[in-house]
Amino acid sequence: MKLGWGPKEEAFRAELVAFLDEQAPPEALVQRDFDSIEDDSGDIIPAWSRKWQSTLFDHGWMIPAYPAELGGRNCTPIQTLAYLEEMARRSIPRSFHFPGYAIVAPSLLEFGTSEQQTLAPAAIRGDTVWCIGMSEPNAGSDLAGIQTRAAVHDDHFVVNGQKVWTSYAMVAQKCFCYVRTNPDVPKHKGISLLIVDMDTPGIEIRPLRHITGAASFAEVFFTDVVVARENLVGGLDDGWRITQGSLAHERAGLWVESVSRLEYTVGSLIALARRRGLDRDPVVRRRLAEMYERAASLRALGYKGFASFAQGSSAPEHSFMKMATSELGQECFELGVEMQGAYGTVVDGERSEESGRWAHSFFVSFASTIAGGSSEIQRNIIAQRVLGLPRG
Amino acid sequence: MDFTLSEDQELLRDTARALLAAECTTSMLRAHIDDPAAADPLWTHLREYAGLAGGPLTDHHLFLEELGYVAAPGPFFATTALFAPLLGTVDHELLPAALAGEVTGTVALAGTDGRWRANDDPVKTFVPEADRVDWVAVVSGEPAVTLLRNPPTRLVRTVDTTRRLFEVTVDASGSGEPLPILPEELESIVEWATVALAAEMVGTARRLFDMTLAYAKERVQFDVPIGSFQAVQHKLADMALDLERATSAVQFAAMAHDAGDNDRHRATHVAKAAAGAAATRAAKDGIHIHGGIGYTWEHDLHLFIRRAYGSEHWLGTRAEHHDLLAEELLI
Repeated sequence: MKLGWGPKEEAFRAELVAFLDEQAPPEALVQRDFDSIEDDSGDIIPAWSRKWQSTLFDHGWMIPAYPAELGGRNCTPIQTLAYLEEMARRSIPRSFHFPGYAIVAPSLLEFGTSEQQTLAPAAIRGDTVWCIGMSEPNAGSDLAGIQTRAAVHDDHFVVNGQKVWTSYAMVAQKCFCYVRTNPDVPKHKGISLLIVDMDTPGIEIRPLRHITGAASFAEVFFTDVVVARENLVGGLDDGWRITQGSLAHERAGLWVESVSRLEYTVGSLIALARRRGLDRDPVVRRRLAEMYERAASLRALGYKGFASFAQGSSAPEHSFMKMATSELGQECFELGVEMQGAYGTVVDGERSEESGRWAHSFFVSFASTIAGGSSEIQRNIIAQRVLGLPRG
Repeated sequence: MDFTLSEDQELLRDTARALLAAECTTSMLRAHIDDPAAADPLWTHLREYAGLAGGPLTDHHLFLEELGYVAAPGPFFATTALFAPLLGTVDHELLPAALAGEVTGTVALAGTDGRWRANDDPVKTFVPEADRVDWVAVVSGEPAVTLLRNPPTRLVRTVDTTRRLFEVTVDASGSGEPLPILPEELESIVEWATVALAAEMVGTARRLFDMTLAYAKERVQFDVPIGSFQAVQHKLADMALDLERATSAVQFAAMAHDAGDNDRHRATHVAKAAAGAAATRAAKDGIHIHGGIGYTWEHDLHLFIRRAYGSEHWLGTRAEHHDLLAEELLI
């Protein structure tokens, strides 16, 4: 048990810091409550971020645990944690589109054919933008309930159906698309994963404006879309297990980003309380302290989980992080709105706080407890996989 | 930032766990309600570990967590988390004997407002084990420390039957010259004890959680274990989250104190507040999931619920630590 990092990790961090000081563009240094949502320019993936992602890749700082040809430098787990911590501390985003580097590339490297694996570097470098075809109108939390059908022919599939909440669909070149190839078996056992080019005839994309008015995801309709057989990833009807795949070697450190953003938000709340003259209000003070307590304890929990992970044990601590950070974030933004009284919902004008940042972030935060496994799903996972309770 | 336990630390924890499972049973806790001497045999084992008070808090807190798991009564906490650190700070000649487990002691600091800060109140409150320890170290408002033997005490009955707290009347004719202590030294001792108590509370919360999880798996209603119901699962998931974050926050606070890090003041308040959240949630939801059986005197659950609430209200409640944390954050 020891506070701080060893000299080797600090040397590694110094190397990263030197690179960031020299190369990071000014746009990357702007603090945000959320990333990957939208840029001030209105672009889902701003030009500077595309360039920045390729710079990170070319210098081996995109996925440090990977070898150089995959945008990394063969880092150890603890170096990866130091990397994620430093990036989060400075709030520097790696990319504005996570599916390619975080989900598609690791899945292709683990489950893909050698031909398919050649798609990984461009996915990580961001040269290819990917979307993930998972959720459907009737398959949200019940992901295995997908109904988009792929009829199986000798050398191709024919896809019909609809996906929804598909992030980046309108700018993506490729889709990692989960389809039903066998409707006659239990639902988890009839799913396959296809690589679908987004310019294939029969694909229609309708951007879906979300609650803040922006559109970063879309509905995607498939009508008789022909997909070559070699675009099947993994075995036929064996797609479900690939849904579990993501950057396993980064999972132990991904919480750092959420926790750092929480701490930044708590700090902003304190500044807001001062500006609103509420910093002597005993109720506000207690609530701010509670937010700080919860954020600080979650950072400690993340480190503790990393210690288990680094020793090769499973780290149940990390199952808690998504749920806890998203719920706490939401409460922080709600408090920020509350503290402004009548002005809490005002989004412009000189008397608004930070151009309506708090109301905006509060609304955006509604997505955080729904997407990527809702808080209820997270609690089910904790209860069943961590605590060993029987399925209902 | 290394939260890994060393082999020695794992050994310490496992040894404590085995010892306490045998020597601190719930039947002893029940006997102790009417006769505090029932806990005397436990002290004969624990005194060997009094030396933990002279070492890092990262070791000490692991041992205390196990004591909280069994709601251990007796002078161990008072002697090792309050008395010995105070002796060490004023460089008292009794320190070696205290670390050797040869003398026991406690600290009387809080005045009638119940808060652990220097004061000149003639009655000190919430003093643990004051009637049975060898020495009562009284801290006066200057601040200064005077050691008393057998001062007048009055048992203050609380809901917690496992920790005996007293009012101590400060006798001006105390033996020896008052030893001066710096305000920041006193603050450091109180913070140290607060983290130590938070560690105990994490143990108590874990006990409540373990009992409740086991019960949810075995109790059958509507032909299935009640732990298969989502409403029960989600309560347990929330209990587990509070427990895990409290465990980690306490460990971090112990590391911060050992390192003398600037973050240690904030980390202390975070640790006690997080431990309070974990312990009181485990108590409330724990009894709820147990249903009627948890409401009985016969079931052991209440022994730990009592300990949880007693500890939450000692050395500062969660709300009080939030106020102290706010002082750090908002000045």
